[in-house]
Amino acid sequence: MLEDAFMTLMKLAIPLYLLAIVIYTVRAFRGPTVPDIILAVDCISFDLAAFMAILAVYFKSVFLIGGAITLALWAYLLDIYVAKHLARGEVGA
Amino acid sequence: MSEILFYLGALMIIIGGICDLLGAIGLLRFPNFYVRLHAATVGTIGGAVVPLFGISLLSLGADFLPHKYAIAGASFVTGVIILLAAPAGATALAYAAHRAKLVKWEPKVDHLAEVRKND
Repeated sequence: MLEDAFMTLMKLAIPLYLLAIVIYTVRAFRGPTVPDIILAVDCISFDLAAFMAILAVYFKSVFLIGGAITLALWAYLLDIYVAKHLARGEVGA
Repeated sequence: MSEILFYLGALMIIIGGICDLLGAIGLLRFPNFYVRLHAATVGTIGGAVVPLFGISLLSLGADFLPHKYAIAGASFVTGVIILLAAPAGATALAYAAHRAKLVKWEPKVDHLAEVRKND
């Protein structure tokens, strides 16, 4: 009974997330400067992490969650490295 | 009890999807990088942290999941990581864009340049 309610919820929620990811991708390809592109890729990564957690419940599998944690950490790493490169002109310690 | 947790998580997932879509439309339509940061914050905090906490509550309440405690704990940890990492990354990116002078804009007040001029 709760499973039927969850499947109805997925019919509502999955198109919202997919449409948002498509619009972020449009901004990532159109973005005029480098920070716009990096910001759009960040938003795609964080929303893909949330969407992978939703898909873990949908497919009843626990293995997608580890990918979500790694994706969130990778997006933060991309932010920090690009900011360091733009501010100082190098990517070092 | 489990039905309450399940429907609270479902409500948070729907709220997260709507916030995600609004943030995406704002990121596409806003004119300037510094204004787009606002929409990106709506898209990450409202669109990723809220549904991750919602999935944590939903999978605690769901009785059809085989590994519900693992999914609940890991999605809660992911939500806390994004809640800490997204503002720090956005702040670093805005500082770098201001410092490298990449974005054309006409500010009324620029406190960061005033501070650097006084140093």
